[in-house]
Amino acid sequence: MAFAYFLGCIMNNRYPGIEKATRIMFENLDIGLEDMKGASCCPAPGVFGSFDLTTQQSIAARNITIAEDMGMDVMTECNGCFGSLYETNHLLHEDEDQKEKINAVLAEAGREYKGEVNVRHFAEILYNDVGLDKLSEAVSNPLNLNVAVHYGCHFLKPSAAINIDDPIKPTIMDELVEVTGAKSVEYRDKMMCCGAGGGLRSRDLDVTLDFTKEKLDNMTEAGVDAIVNVCPFCHLQFDVGQTEVNKKYGTNYSIPVFHLAQLYGLAMGLSAEDLTVDAHQICVDSALEKCDTAMLDKLDKVTGGE
Amino acid sequence: MKQLKRLKNMISGGEESEKQKDKQSDEEMKTEETETKTEETKEKTTKKASKRKAKKSAKEKAEKADAKTKKDTKTEKPVDKTEKTSKSEVKKPQKPRSDSMSLFEGRDVDTITRSNITDDFKQAVIDAGAESLAICFQCGTCTGACPSGRRTPYRVRQLVRRSLMGLKEELLADDTIWMCSTCYECQERCPREIKIVDIVKIVRNYASQAGYMAKAHKMTGSFVIKTGHGVPINDATKELRKRVGLSELPPTTHEFPEALEEVQTILKTTKFDSLIGYNWESGEIE
Repeated sequence: MAFAYFLGCIMNNRYPGIEKATRIMFENLDIGLEDMKGASCCPAPGVFGSFDLTTQQSIAARNITIAEDMGMDVMTECNGCFGSLYETNHLLHEDEDQKEKINAVLAEAGREYKGEVNVRHFAEILYNDVGLDKLSEAVSNPLNLNVAVHYGCHFLKPSAAINIDDPIKPTIMDELVEVTGAKSVEYRDKMMCCGAGGGLRSRDLDVTLDFTKEKLDNMTEAGVDAIVNVCPFCHLQFDVGQTEVNKKYGTNYSIPVFHLAQLYGLAMGLSAEDLTVDAHQICVDSALEKCDTAMLDKLDKVTGGE
Repeated sequence: MKQLKRLKNMISGGEESEKQKDKQSDEEMKTEETETKTEETKEKTTKKASKRKAKKSAKEKAEKADAKTKKDTKTEKPVDKTEKTSKSEVKKPQKPRSDSMSLFEGRDVDTITRSNITDDFKQAVIDAGAESLAICFQCGTCTGACPSGRRTPYRVRQLVRRSLMGLKEELLADDTIWMCSTCYECQERCPREIKIVDIVKIVRNYASQAGYMAKAHKMTGSFVIKTGHGVPINDATKELRKRVGLSELPPTTHEFPEALEEVQTILKTTKFDSLIGYNWESGEIE
């Protein structure tokens, strides 16, 4: 099994620990990840989709043609990239006229979209192709954490086209998280958006932060040790956005944020440095300490407490 | 609310603070209602009558007129608060009210007429990929599901309605259409399975063509033109990448200039560069 690895922007250009964790994890799972050389921004669905759909679809289709040349399905671990690429792939499959129109644009750059590959999300590949059993075998360092799972929006929606899991009450991410030993805690309006998407974060930060604060309030009420996401943009919103919420509302939130790949990295015993979680805006030490304490407790039991 | 304030200012000369005025007129209304039964009945009858008249005009108008009535009461009454307890003082301004009760004043300006409607707009949105727009029956489930609508004036049902009616100009100029985070909660719940987020994006495409683009969004566009990435790499991340043993630059347009050229060719072909006013020489947004 091998995939064309689509990086996008925020993961590789802001949180490289997510990329690092993924590469190590897939090596451990014996799944190939081939670089999509010369891929670009997906492009960002908020700005490009809102400004000009033809441009958005053309850039997305160009990225897909790179995977077509490699003869591999695309894997991305960003909901935004997934949305932009998946929806374009879906549309151009369904709509022959639109495919012709986009191919006329791509021809200028010497490319042609054929519609030969699928666009897949990292979390869905883990769940469907790898499976929970194999994943639990890979866990060497079970995590003693209560986590708030944040699905984000474009992983499961629009469900009519994507069809991965129930968009109102899904379980896929909770199951994936609990394989690591962590517990997925229910909290109010769990499926709500983080507020960053649709170009809202760059255009109207106050509205975005109001979304984020509501999520943080609800997560805090449920008493969680960390937030786990499957989207670097949501990740950024909970990490950087959390400091912005604190500044704006005079609050003092400090919930550590992990991408699912980083959570698996921890569960596989990777260091905080390798996961670059030490570079996060919100300190993750409280979560790491809790994991370490769990390990120490276990060691104590094994050694008879000496 | 703005209209209401403006109206209040017009009538009262705008000398007092709005809050004070609000408070006063409210108090006056109370005084009238509780202390003078006959006047109250009279007033209510007048109000009812005027509301009947206004039935066909917009709801705002009725509110406006109500406010106007209140204002009239106020302006013709001595400002001194201590005198309020006197019933006779309160009753005084009732007489000339009927003269100023015209609820139809300004109707020509505010009522939606054929001239507000762009005939082909609905069809244009449909042709741009939102066929399902036509079957919306305005139930409002979308707005009920909308997390943005819970905290902003954005009303997705209204956006769909205006698209259906062809109220193009006011729709494109409406800032709230940019308050959607494209979370798809509306679309997931729509009983007609309308692709609502597609409609939002198509409407935004038209708004962009009409020049309603935020600087911050144009900047993101310009980053993609310059680097191929909406969020380009920075020095701190280069260091981080090196530290964990990744290539300093990701194997994207950052590493392959010829790939960036392809992206730029596409952006020129679709005229995205001129849409956002990108100057290739200066690398700036004009």
